[in-house]
Amino acid sequence: MVTTDRAATAVPAPPAARRVPPLLVAAVGGGALLICCALSLALGARSIPLSTVISALSGSGRGPDADVVTGLRVPRTLIGLTVGGALGVAGAVAQGVTRNALASPTTLGVNAGAGFAVVAAIFVLHLARPLEFMWFALAGAAAAALLVYGLAQRPGDADPVRLALSGTVLTAVLASWTTALMLASQRTLDEARFWLAGSIGGRDVAVLERVLPFVVAGLVLAFAVAPSLNALALGDEAAHALGVPVPRIRLLGGASVVLLAAGSVAVAGPIPFIGLAAPHLVRPLLGADHRRLIPACLVTGATLLLAADVLGRLIARPSELETGIVTAFLGAPLLAVLARRSAR
Amino acid sequence: MLTRGSAMNQRSALTIARRRALLLCATCAATLAALIGTALSTGDMHIPFFTAVRALFGAGDSGTVLVVQQFRAPRVFAAVFAGAALAVAGSMTQRLLRNPLASPDVIGVTGGASCGAVLILATGGIPAALTPVAAVAGGLLVAVLLGASAWRSQVSVTRLVLVGVALQQGLAAVVNLMIVRFPQELASQALQWSSGSLYGRTWTEVWVAGGAIVVGGAVAALTQRRVAVLDLGEESAGGLGLDPRRARLGLLVLAVLLASLAAALSGPIGFVALVVPHLVRRLAGPPTPATLALTALTGAVLLLGADYVALNLLPIRGLPAGSVTATLGAPWLLVLMARSRTKPVQRTLT
Repeated sequence: MVTTDRAATAVPAPPAARRVPPLLVAAVGGGALLICCALSLALGARSIPLSTVISALSGSGRGPDADVVTGLRVPRTLIGLTVGGALGVAGAVAQGVTRNALASPTTLGVNAGAGFAVVAAIFVLHLARPLEFMWFALAGAAAAALLVYGLAQRPGDADPVRLALSGTVLTAVLASWTTALMLASQRTLDEARFWLAGSIGGRDVAVLERVLPFVVAGLVLAFAVAPSLNALALGDEAAHALGVPVPRIRLLGGASVVLLAAGSVAVAGPIPFIGLAAPHLVRPLLGADHRRLIPACLVTGATLLLAADVLGRLIARPSELETGIVTAFLGAPLLAVLARRSAR
Repeated sequence: MLTRGSAMNQRSALTIARRRALLLCATCAATLAALIGTALSTGDMHIPFFTAVRALFGAGDSGTVLVVQQFRAPRVFAAVFAGAALAVAGSMTQRLLRNPLASPDVIGVTGGASCGAVLILATGGIPAALTPVAAVAGGLLVAVLLGASAWRSQVSVTRLVLVGVALQQGLAAVVNLMIVRFPQELASQALQWSSGSLYGRTWTEVWVAGGAIVVGGAVAALTQRRVAVLDLGEESAGGLGLDPRRARLGLLVLAVLLASLAAALSGPIGFVALVVPHLVRRLAGPPTPATLALTALTGAVLLLGADYVALNLLPIRGLPAGSVTATLGAPWLLVLMARSRTKPVQRTLT
């Protein structure tokens, strides 16, 4: 029947050789993040020199340029930092909890769940403001993630390939329902299509403020389970033998993933692949130790998201390409490569 | 199933299977005819069954003939052709790749095809007859990408499916881009296409794509024997004078063509190509010459039925047929996955 080759799909075993000193990696990562922040503040439909950006940030600048920086670009960058960091950590925890290199918010169906919930809410309840979308996005994302995890669960272990497949199946169904609703009502299409593309531009900071507690809770949980995830990587039985309460760690880690992923979808709309890519970029440099991996993914996720956003602004100047579309174009090849490697 | 019993028993079992397949074919054909009639007669203006059928052939008053021939018939026949082509393509890929999950919709071929079709529509000013060409180009492109990234000495279907998933994410981004960037009318057209809908098909499209599908189906029927030889395994096939790799490649290309042509008619309809071959295997047992016809007929019945349900029986009118097939097909796929753990690999493909 289905030949789900169940071999080396687990998270890569402990690092074979750690060539790069962690401090250097941290410095480079922090530097990259700072550069991306600066670019995100300075570039766009209207390029603003860095000196103006700095004077605007310090509150001494005046004029339209300074207003653009403080009114539009600072909120945008803050949203990008939060969403990117949350997605990166969510990916790392999801991969650790499921012991599966393909797990990520996208492949777990979180985005599709949030998308369907929001579109259904617009269709039925005539919502119009992103602030109102938020709760539906949270609920839909959480429900989809739980469903996919439940479907992939076998006694003992969640099978990696099945997890990806269940996510795909659920995504296909939810996407077709989403499309059906948007086709049935022009109003829903108008309201939803920009939200569904996933972008950090033009989002409401009020949503970020509401969601922030969820994201922070998710981050705290993620850091709390990090040491246990290392034991979990050895297998359920080994982890149990080491005194790790496996079911409880799974539960807490899963809760962390749902909080982080659902929170970021609620703010920015579905942005694929950040959660998948960040851990895979970090692991070759820092190894598979979750105590390092998770903070590094926080930085990497934020950097990736801001970089994608800046790229989207530059490609289609003076208009812009939605962040979610940029990450999808960049991330699809990555998923293909990973799938190739993991389903050997 | 064939392994138990002696050669005598096998022969009689084959005869029974053949008879059974023929019987099922007849049943399916009758169902299809009834469904076509029903679909032609229902709509905003109700037309009695036999009046509708006669109007299809041009008899009756001119208003009825217009409604039936110009508005309803293209959609109905688009569903019939697309369903048949999807089912045949699905059964071919599943058999050739020896995996019940390997159907053109799961691995992204139909998605690529409809992406091509949408791109052509979006550029505007290009005759509708060229849509199938664009769809075939899109489907082939995805197939080549899949082949390039998943093909090694032998095909691991898990890899194929996962790479297909990745490709579909990329394609979804293309469609998303069009939906966001286009003016509203084109946006909803692009959405319509990417959802797997039979809305607004014209005779031109049906003739061009349908004709190509009939040709492709005929070729598939003629090459059935090769597929049967390939079923024996690469070495035996080589022993029988068939270059197994070339034969398999050619047949896969044929399947991709059929699936792409179907997508040119209906967009990416999910799960028909996946489910119908299973259904047929269940009903008719091991493949006989009649199986291909049965597969095509079942596919046509399934898609036409899904479209009928979407059009007439749901609380929200005008939903795409693709959402009905996805809703019905997803649980099936999940059950399939769940059972794949407990049963040996060989039993599904006889």
